[in-house]
Amino acid sequence: MSYSSILYICIFLPAVILLYGITPQRHRGKILLAASYLFFYMLSGKLLVYLILSTFSIHHIGLWLSSCRREFELEKRQIPQEQREPLKKAYTAKRRKILLFAVLLHVGMLLFLKYFNFFGTNVNHLLQLLSVPIQIPQLKLAVPLGISFYTLQAVSYIVDVYQGKTEADDNIGRLALYMAFFPVIMEGPICRYSQTAPDLYQGKQLAYRNVTFGYQRIVWGLFKKLVIADRLNPLVKTIFENHQDYGGVVVIAGAVLYTFQLYADFSGCIDITIGTGEIFGVKIPENFRQPFFSKTASEFWRRWHITLGTWFKDYIFYPVSLTHFVKNLSKKTKNRFGKHAGQIVTSAFALFGVWFCNGLWHGTGWNYIFFGLYYFVLILLGNIFEPWIQSAADRLHIDRHSRWYSCLQRIKLLLIVFTGELFFRAEGLRAGTDMFRSVFTEFDLSALTDGSLFSLGISRADYLAVLAGFAVVLLVGILHEKGISIRERAARWGIIRRWSFYYGAVLAVVIFGAYGPGYRAVDLIYAGF
Amino acid sequence: MEKLLSILEDLNSDIDYETETKLIDNGLLDSMSILSLVSDLEDAFDVEITPVELVPDNFNSARAMWQMVQRLQEA
Repeated sequence: MSYSSILYICIFLPAVILLYGITPQRHRGKILLAASYLFFYMLSGKLLVYLILSTFSIHHIGLWLSSCRREFELEKRQIPQEQREPLKKAYTAKRRKILLFAVLLHVGMLLFLKYFNFFGTNVNHLLQLLSVPIQIPQLKLAVPLGISFYTLQAVSYIVDVYQGKTEADDNIGRLALYMAFFPVIMEGPICRYSQTAPDLYQGKQLAYRNVTFGYQRIVWGLFKKLVIADRLNPLVKTIFENHQDYGGVVVIAGAVLYTFQLYADFSGCIDITIGTGEIFGVKIPENFRQPFFSKTASEFWRRWHITLGTWFKDYIFYPVSLTHFVKNLSKKTKNRFGKHAGQIVTSAFALFGVWFCNGLWHGTGWNYIFFGLYYFVLILLGNIFEPWIQSAADRLHIDRHSRWYSCLQRIKLLLIVFTGELFFRAEGLRAGTDMFRSVFTEFDLSALTDGSLFSLGISRADYLAVLAGFAVVLLVGILHEKGISIRERAARWGIIRRWSFYYGAVLAVVIFGAYGPGYRAVDLIYAGF
Repeated sequence: MEKLLSILEDLNSDIDYETETKLIDNGLLDSMSILSLVSDLEDAFDVEITPVELVPDNFNSARAMWQMVQRLQEA
């Protein structure tokens, strides 16, 4: 049951809303939790036990960390000032061990279930090359739905409790709902405990504005998913799964259209998620902010999959940057080669951690690791050359804020993103390399006029629907960039104009969406990660 | 406070640090600027800034940074 399915939109969600609405406030959180576990069970069956175990463990560990802090505060008051520092050190060491255990437990489970066979295969290749007669067996491992997402939520909760940013929650129901909330479990966004948990379990009254705004956001998500992403799917599949048959312009079209498919699919799903949360009065964090209007790779990643980026920033980038080793190395470099070199050392270590994990998080394949390291190199190079670029711009009297310079930056960024997505979607690193090479070796513009683009699984009508859909998404993006909220504006219109707009939006999905006979339901792309 | 303002001016002189209260929320300071700032603050005020302190509330304004520095000096 994907979020864009009729089962979810027309049966599951309305049933949950109905049950939620007729249930007394104090039990509404339990209704959402039961619905979330049912949703998970329908998709992942008995693997629900992993999610429940994770929830129990973070509940227990959170309380353990909290009781350690309380014990320390109590003991501290009973001893003289000079003995407090050793006591603090002892408790910090104990709490650090608990944190390490919790992180290893959760990340270890993710690594084992998701990556054991990937690493096993690669180690076996290596052992074979070295003629070592040992092989790591391949295990039949079933990976629970959303493990990559809920594991990061679990780790963030534990680290936040350890750092004192969040109080440990003694209500296991609230914690369980934070981990399992059904619109979030499949594709995120990766929420922090303080962002969603309190509202989730509060059981807020269903409000007209929340329900209408929520459904509007869901329709917008369906529009992106069904009109753009799912219509493009046959073309993307044809090119990437038969990449040896294509080259040049067709591969470029594949990379560009896959990027738009991924954006429409993932951001559309997030719209449905945020809209669902809105119905229940829960503000789920935004995950996209017009990423294609970015000028640099760093900015792109601050606007694309925002919650993953901020998770990596808070739990990898900053902690790695502020380790004594990195700080000392950075200081030594700064003293010897100047401030900029010191900063580069820090960013090199921290960015490598972030982008290696980012690549690996997305999947088990060398193309994903390449994808992560591709951005690592690009962003690091951007940081290294920034002073020289600025000085060249000053000498040439180039205004880096001018419209034409920004335009060039945006074009460069799009080329970077399309290239990255080519490797990301490719059926392995070798296929990605072959496809990238073919762009140059088989470049032939005649593919644009000889009808090749119409033999890729989608018709002229599909192209037109996608083009129209994309124009609407672009227009909405431009309005959002200008700070204009269409929903807020529409809410102020007169009843006839307003409801014509709402019906028009629903009809656009019904008429132009790719579903029903002749179409196969397309799985959510990020649910696979 | 003057020393802090001077560090911030070195980082980006286009910002009015006396009045700006959303340095992080408005994206005026990115993560690389924060790291540079952390290093300068540690050197200038002899404090140790840990990841726990790296939250928007501590870096959204010069005043918030100054309060953080004073708190860390007292600790």
